[in-house]
Amino acid sequence: MGLLGPNGAGKTTTIDMLLGLTTPTSGNINMFGLPFEINRANILKRMNFSAAYINLPWSLKVIENLYTFARLYEVDDYKEKVDKLMDEFQLTNLKDKRADELSSGQLAKLYICKSFVNNPKLLLLDEPTAFLDPDVADIIRKIILKRVKKTNMSILFTSHNMPEITEICDRVIFLNHGKIIAEDTPDELAQKIKFCKVRLLFLVENNKVKTLLDNYKYEYIIDNKETTISLDERNVGQLLGRLSLAKLKYTQITIDKPTLEDFFIKVAREKL
Amino acid sequence: MSYRRILAMVIRHLYVWPRNLDRLMGSFGWPILEITIWGITMSYFQKNLSNSLSIVTVILGSVIMWQILARTQTEISIVFLDEVWNKNLINIFSSPLTKAEFLVSIIVLNTIKIIFTILSLMIVGFFYYKFDLISSFGLYLPFLLLNLLLMGWSVGFFVIAVILRFGYRVQELAWAIFLVTQPFSCVFYPISVLPSWAKSIALLLPSSYLFEEMRNILSKNPINMNNLYISFSLNMIYLSLSIWFFSAMFEKAREHGRLVKLN
Repeated sequence: MGLLGPNGAGKTTTIDMLLGLTTPTSGNINMFGLPFEINRANILKRMNFSAAYINLPWSLKVIENLYTFARLYEVDDYKEKVDKLMDEFQLTNLKDKRADELSSGQLAKLYICKSFVNNPKLLLLDEPTAFLDPDVADIIRKIILKRVKKTNMSILFTSHNMPEITEICDRVIFLNHGKIIAEDTPDELAQKIKFCKVRLLFLVENNKVKTLLDNYKYEYIIDNKETTISLDERNVGQLLGRLSLAKLKYTQITIDKPTLEDFFIKVAREKL
Repeated sequence: MSYRRILAMVIRHLYVWPRNLDRLMGSFGWPILEITIWGITMSYFQKNLSNSLSIVTVILGSVIMWQILARTQTEISIVFLDEVWNKNLINIFSSPLTKAEFLVSIIVLNTIKIIFTILSLMIVGFFYYKFDLISSFGLYLPFLLLNLLLMGWSVGFFVIAVILRFGYRVQELAWAIFLVTQPFSCVFYPISVLPSWAKSIALLLPSSYLFEEMRNILSKNPINMNNLYISFSLNMIYLSLSIWFFSAMFEKAREHGRLVKLN
């Protein structure tokens, strides 16, 4: 489940409340069918968490950090389980290195590895790939997806990277100002945007193109040779017909279907 | 309450202790340095002043006991601050660890560390100045140490609670508070020499009764058991209040989102 929304929408606050770090101003939280406040330890034992903005103790070695959290979550046979996890996350050769000796990518792996230490039923990940280069972010995503398939756990995932949300999440909740604005699959949400983008490289002068697009009141941007026209995807055929009638020749055409990012931008701006 | 989670927190900090110079200095270095400085100073006084037969013993005993109290309190606060500095507070409190388990883990950890501090002070005191802590205090020693630990824990929990309420800007309190309480604890002089306003404050501190009787023990004067009972009773009251205060401030921090911001 992806948790989306602009900055200040309440994504991190929601996660903090689910972890018991912040008390809700009203209402109650029930998880695994249990009220959170009176079953806190029992519920948290079945969950785990990782975020880009938290660390693990710098002065502890990789293995010491993982042992500490395995003990905190009362994992049985934790040494054996931590060894297996380190193998899976390719951390075995780094086990005696202190956290402050690791690269950003290695640290990200350690943080994610820590969040799997108790084999949680529910994993909360708050922008786990923020600040990572695309290569490391891709490795982290693959590790997460592999573990999800293997263990059938649920994940609540926040990110500002829309392709990442589309790749990882089956469903998305869109939050704004602490309220749920939309909830659906990433594809369905994207399809709520009726507009697509038609990008064309014209052989004729921009002025002629501009005149035609203005006459028909199209929304467009001309950037050097490339013209991008935003329109309802049902009207693409009509646009191409008009261009043909006006003898405006083009060498390249690309039609971008609406994405989750388009939905995000539209909803975030509407609700501001 | 889970002993495994308590153990997890204790071991997590014991991993760091032997390999971190700051922590080792806190447990051994600074206490040994202070006892050395005071020992030298007092040896000088003994050679140069008359009627000061027991002054070295009394001062050394006071320095050792004060170090135990100060280190206990500081260590308690620093265990909490360490999690804040490491941005690990969210990890700790989003785990099943409860507030009570967290406090018990700090107490266990502190007791382990302070035993090593006491041993190092005993060894240095004995070999440098022929001061034998065990024979000097006799059967009173465990009671005195227990009371020092109880007071250190109360002050430590109070400091953590204040940090939870006011954030980073008051973290200096972890080091400063024992310097503030020292004059009123009457570590090196009797309560009677204090001005009356200061005496009223001193009488509210369990440490002032303890140090008063500690001097009586070292000087082989009659011991007022009432003072020891008052000290113990005050400690129990303050410890209960500090735990309540910690718990209340923790919940307030959760309500206002300060626990997360502290990270």
